[in-house]
Amino acid sequence: MDNVLKIGGNRKSFGKSILYTLPMFLITFMFMTGGRPNFSDLSSGLALLTAFLLVNILYFLMHFTGKTDRYRAILFIIFALSLSYTLIHNMLEVRKSMSFSQADILECKIPFCHLVIPMMILPAAFTKSIIFPGSILNGFANISTMIVLWLVATLVLGRGFCSWGCFYGGWDDGFSRFGKKPLIKRIDGLWKWMPFAVLMMVMLTAALSMMPTYCSWICPFKAVTEFEQVTSVESAAKAGIFLSLFGGLVIVLPVMTKKRTQCSFLCPLGAINTLSNKITPFMVKIDKNDCNECFKCVEACPLYAITRDDIKEGKVSMFCSKCGKCVDACSRNAIHYGIKGVPSGTLKNFSRNLFLFVSFLFMAIFSAGSIIASFHGLLKLIF
Amino acid sequence: MTESLILGLSSGSACLATCGMVMFPYLMSGSAGVKRIASDLTLFLVTRFLVYFMLATLSWSFGKALFSNLVVRNILPGILYIVFAVMLVWYSISKKRNRDCPAKIVQTVNNRKLVPILLGLVNSLGFCPALFLILTKGAAEKTLVHSYISFLAFFIGSSIWFIPLPLAGKIQKKEVLTTIGILATGLAGIIFMIKGLTNLIGGIING
Repeated sequence: MDNVLKIGGNRKSFGKSILYTLPMFLITFMFMTGGRPNFSDLSSGLALLTAFLLVNILYFLMHFTGKTDRYRAILFIIFALSLSYTLIHNMLEVRKSMSFSQADILECKIPFCHLVIPMMILPAAFTKSIIFPGSILNGFANISTMIVLWLVATLVLGRGFCSWGCFYGGWDDGFSRFGKKPLIKRIDGLWKWMPFAVLMMVMLTAALSMMPTYCSWICPFKAVTEFEQVTSVESAAKAGIFLSLFGGLVIVLPVMTKKRTQCSFLCPLGAINTLSNKITPFMVKIDKNDCNECFKCVEACPLYAITRDDIKEGKVSMFCSKCGKCVDACSRNAIHYGIKGVPSGTLKNFSRNLFLFVSFLFMAIFSAGSIIASFHGLLKLIF
Repeated sequence: MTESLILGLSSGSACLATCGMVMFPYLMSGSAGVKRIASDLTLFLVTRFLVYFMLATLSWSFGKALFSNLVVRNILPGILYIVFAVMLVWYSISKKRNRDCPAKIVQTVNNRKLVPILLGLVNSLGFCPALFLILTKGAAEKTLVHSYISFLAFFIGSSIWFIPLPLAGKIQKKEVLTTIGILATGLAGIIFMIKGLTNLIGGIING
């Protein structure tokens, strides 16, 4: 009896799930429509309605089925794809090309992304200048909006940002779901410190050269957003690096390991978010009383955040991105969302409901614009 | 200058990871006071500085003689960068790294006062791939002053790691810091590998 209760621990009845979805329904409605839905243009109206329904149905299913990661991942992957689509579409319309020119840099027309943040810290502290050629307040993806969004999300979610807010994470999350079994099972644990080494290097190189070196030389996601025009050996080398890192860390390795390798072994912002996990209110906890040490959660974790030793000690490491994959994998509900200061094993449902509301709302609002725009683009293509 | 500083910073951490266990007991000399540690550390750093100063002069003079031909000047540094960068990456991932510490030689010296100088000599001349890279850079520089600047930046970058030595005993999670330092060394190797490749391809294209 006890076991049966635990298996369905996070599930809710249909009516209760509707009740839990209602606040999300109202808030996302307000954010997506501004309180005044406009259906004058059929394709815009349809795109808005589809995005709105998608978000709310997924949230409803999280409560109704008790599964977190399955439905989070759907929105997360759609977010990543739609953002790349929107960005590329926008650039092709404005610049007629995915590459940017020196003139775009001089005019500060480059869209800002959160991965630049680690490189900005030292130059901003010592020289009071921002080393990114983007707009501070105006236009698409301006610097101040992105920094505020990231800061708020990171303070509340910690590394949860990497699974609920990052518009790139969906790429390797998506590819890590291909195939049934991993072809590479063991990777040395020391590699998970690599993002800290990358962080150290990019912070130093950016401070010394006053250039966003990660964006200029390393970022794999340049392959699906924008990149420097290939006009020299150096720019060709950069393009080569972007493409090989994207191919290797975002496509091939995630498929072979079934893990998010770009997020685990490269992303410098992930390193900062990992540290911020120490101060956030939400965390994943292990209830030692219910855990039978089956280690399914260790296998499931896409970020190498749980080891067998962690399970034995009864705590999840600071690398956790709170994606919920381990929570879904645990048939005994022994691994669960928790709140700092509350003993593990208590307030399981309350903690999950609170965390899901905050994190899903952030993802829904953050992703809404690009999802609606890409649905709109898709509808235009079809009709 | 940026590249040299980064190379110094990253290889300095790896150097500590490799030789720390050999050097700490000598430089911190057990119960010695801060004055003694500071004077030993100063001697150690001054020796390193002088050695790098000489190496900057030697490498530049050698480079001037060797790279007189334009084709060689365009292509050879690129090849050397790639070779030494591959060595540096290998060095950072090799599990045998800890056996290679050249500073072990001081264990055979009886004169306590000579130890910091000897450690400085061995540490700066311990032919690790990072030193080969900075030698190549010094040799490829246009002027002797540029070569000095490169070596100075390398010296500063690698010396920063030795300054907090007196506090080393109090640093927690040394293993994690060492791992990050080693990985950063590998990344520095990759940066120089890319530099070598672009130099080489650029050199071939430009004739």
